Amino acid sequence: MLRFPFLLCALLFLAAASAQAQPNERIQTSLVRITATDVEPDYRAPWNSGQIERGVGAGFVIDGQRILTNAHVVSNSRFLTVEREGDPNKYPATVQFVAHDCDLATVQVANPGFWKGMKPLEFNGIPELESTVSAYGYPIGGERMSVTTGIVSRIDFNLYTHSAIDSHLAIQISAQINPGNSGGPVLQNGKVVGVAFQGYSGDIAQGVAYMIPTPVIRRFLTDIKDGHYDRYVDLGITYSKLQNPAQRRYLGLTTNDRGILVDTVIDAGPCGKILHDGDVLLAIDGHAIASDAFVEYEGERVQMPEVVERKFKGDKVKLDLLRDHKPMSVEITLGSVWPYFLQGHSYDIRPRYVLYGGLLFQPMSLDLIEAYHISDLRVRHFFDFFVSEQIYLQHPEVIILTNILPDPINSYLNSYRDSIVDEINGQKIGTLQDLARAFAQPAGRFVVKMVGDGPPLVLDAKQVESARERIKQRYNVFSEENLDEQPPAKTSVAAKDHS
Amino acid sequence: MKRALLIVSLTFLAGVAPLPAKKLPAVRKTTAIAQNAVQPKEVSLVRVNVTGQAFDYFRPWQKKAPSSKRALGAVLPNDRVLVTADLVENQNYVELERAESGDKTAARVVVVDYEANLALLEPDDKKFLDGLKPLDLALDTVVGDRLDAWQLESTGALVVTEGLVTTVGVTEYPADVGEFLTYRLSIPLQFRDNSYTVPLVRGDKLAALLLRFDPHSQVMDAIPAPIIAHFLKDAAGPKYEGFPSLGISFFPTRDPQLREYAGETGNAKGVYITAVDPGLPAAKAGLEQGDIVTAINDHAIDENGNYVDALYGKIAMNNLLGAKAFVGDSLTLHIQRAGKPLTLKAKLEHRAADDYVIPPYNHDQPPSYFVLGGLIFQELSREYLKEWGAGWQKDAPQDFVYLDRYQSEIFPEGHRRVVILSQVLPSDETIGYDDDSYLIVTKVNGKEVHSLGDLADAVRTPVNGFDVIETKEDPKQLELDAKQVAADADALQKNYGLPALQRLP
Repeated sequence: MLRFPFLLCALLFLAAASAQAQPNERIQTSLVRITATDVEPDYRAPWNSGQIERGVGAGFVIDGQRILTNAHVVSNSRFLTVEREGDPNKYPATVQFVAHDCDLATVQVANPGFWKGMKPLEFNGIPELESTVSAYGYPIGGERMSVTTGIVSRIDFNLYTHSAIDSHLAIQISAQINPGNSGGPVLQNGKVVGVAFQGYSGDIAQGVAYMIPTPVIRRFLTDIKDGHYDRYVDLGITYSKLQNPAQRRYLGLTTNDRGILVDTVIDAGPCGKILHDGDVLLAIDGHAIASDAFVEYEGERVQMPEVVERKFKGDKVKLDLLRDHKPMSVEITLGSVWPYFLQGHSYDIRPRYVLYGGLLFQPMSLDLIEAYHISDLRVRHFFDFFVSEQIYLQHPEVIILTNILPDPINSYLNSYRDSIVDEINGQKIGTLQDLARAFAQPAGRFVVKMVGDGPPLVLDAKQVESARERIKQRYNVFSEENLDEQPPAKTSVAAKDHS
Repeated sequence: MKRALLIVSLTFLAGVAPLPAKKLPAVRKTTAIAQNAVQPKEVSLVRVNVTGQAFDYFRPWQKKAPSSKRALGAVLPNDRVLVTADLVENQNYVELERAESGDKTAARVVVVDYEANLALLEPDDKKFLDGLKPLDLALDTVVGDRLDAWQLESTGALVVTEGLVTTVGVTEYPADVGEFLTYRLSIPLQFRDNSYTVPLVRGDKLAALLLRFDPHSQVMDAIPAPIIAHFLKDAAGPKYEGFPSLGISFFPTRDPQLREYAGETGNAKGVYITAVDPGLPAAKAGLEQGDIVTAINDHAIDENGNYVDALYGKIAMNNLLGAKAFVGDSLTLHIQRAGKPLTLKAKLEHRAADDYVIPPYNHDQPPSYFVLGGLIFQELSREYLKEWGAGWQKDAPQDFVYLDRYQSEIFPEGHRRVVILSQVLPSDETIGYDDDSYLIVTKVNGKEVHSLGDLADAVRTPVNGFDVIETKEDPKQLELDAKQVAADADALQKNYGLPALQRLP
């Protein structure tokens, strides 16, 4: 009973506050609560459909009868509902576009009743440092809409943890953001200046929250205009600042403070075979690159990759450079760098695998390594240096023997776990497809050579054949392989109508 | 060698806090027996006080602060005192102390073997050990025997704790080089101020020395008398050779499919050879990857790599190298290659720590380094990696740990070091290089660098006035102005208080 007066006070306070916040009052007609039912893939039993989970996030209406939210709110979802303020109905919804590399997605609602009275929010630019913003969403602590305010604390490049490999501009705000805020709008003067998306857990740092700023949002909305989301593009190089006077002189640079050093050119990237290790980049699209890798761009000093960030797949970028003291220019057609992908999280895919003789072979990826907690030094090395040491050239996929379903035919093979497959019967194995093909060849036995000094793994083909059904039944394996990543069909949501 | 280890890692007794009395379970037999028949002066033990200074691999020009260890030494014939090697590593001063009188004398280390973890001391005062009866060795301890751990009270009185030998097996020793015979005991050992070199005695003979002890499970591993005997016999010769090694990695052949593939015939079992290190005895004898070793000398090797020992029964074949064989001995390897039996003769050699690309241990010698304009170059070693602490395998730079683990695979030719740019002292020359640490150096001034000596040679011939350092990792190249480096060398040395800018191996 003591809680009641306290609650009353709080409500009064909130009411007073909202009376002040005139500029943002339209929010009730734009904010939605999204409930997603996900199926999380099970890498340890990849033939299973996976774990069913449910989560809640926020979203908001934008032009074109769309709802904008975070990719991580709707990732791996099989069923979505949205709710709006002051309406008892739950409306089924579908994902329209999802961009895992910048954690944004658009959601559609088929029921026209949902859109009655809903108003799209408009976007603004990058808010000033120290200016006040308000975040809206459905964080833990209650059922109804929540609003928190804070100031803009920092504007910088930051890792987007949803994919764990992409870094884009992110804005740190001091408004409290908690699970359930994700996908909610952050407003200033009635306009969207960001989408709340990530923060630190309390035991690392308190009150550090991030929103996706509007340049990233606008880029996403532009990218999907052609009906397809292409990824962010990248140069596929690593570079160093050129601040050492002796090094500058060695490279033939004068002291006008320009230029960065190309350390490594990823062969599989758009600069492969065009740029060389040791080139000095002087300008990008005519913007001089300072020795600390910043460029003047649209009146602001931004990091060099920012210029590439704004571009799209197939766009061109001009690089002025110095090679062996000689100036030259190259034009790069931008694209993405696929070897990076497996170092990040994947969503909306089915894990790929081959089960042969009770031995489970799976391609290395961040999700796989996390699922098995693989600590094997060699696997970790292949993962960490997959791009930088260009391991992908020999192993486009790194096939790991991740697990063994015990059976008399594999009783003595446990020590081969976590090994990386190099050859089968003398054929190099670079992909899961290679492995499936090698095991399908007629042979009396399969000699599987693993990477490194170790004994070969020897399988008698006849014994494996005779054990197949037994292993499938014993371990409830529906299918012995999945070679492609196509997501399973999603349940149709069009028909259901709650209103 | 890739055998499943019999024994999980145990902590050293050193540095373990005194055990709270209430945690001790019922003690079978722990008595101060000063009043018993054995008088302290008859106990063949002396105290050993050692002050040592470890080298600082992060600041290779200096040593860490001195620290002291107290231990017991077992008195042996010829005025020698036996201790464990970890006691005397990096020692500056060793002192012996008579337990009953407190008399002291300085001592010198006669022989030390860090792989077997044994060392022999000799007092400066030749009469110092007079009146102490030297210990003989009890070589035939087996599972089920009871051994007495000897410790001393501060009064000099003897503390005897009885333990039961539960396992005799082959385990890794602290230097991570080879595997040696080990006794495992169940023993309620108490904490005394001498945590190193606790002797274990059977009757009045020395049976073993403490190797490691886990106070929670009260399990002790001990260096057994057969290993001590090997060490003493070797030490009595003109030159200490060390324990021999074959240079092979092997894998069990429990899997019948692997046995069939390897062409094994008949009833012989044996182990599958996965790797043969070039230049070592097995390779010189002609052993190849894929061979199956079915017997060593007259001992048949089973599919797990065990042979039947006359004293212990089944035990790992490494024991045939550790306790039984000496450098220079000839070892007969009976093998099967593609189904055909063959006999090879291997002449045994010791593989010294220096013979590795990344030395597994290095004591008593200062680490080498080379400072060039603030860039610090070192040779990669496990001592360096161990500066990251007990969790170095996870915490140290992972490409270094990878190189260390797979060094024989990555550098099969051997005979080289891995030179690293370990850190950068900020200076005029290194502006902009501050973050460039933990890099592997491939070339300097266009010349391949396989040792610090190579690097020192290469910097004598700058390229157009620049020292050009190439690294495996980004940024892949760093340049210094050679003239400026030379001109500023004194100032750099003074500024950072370096006693010297280089120490070459």
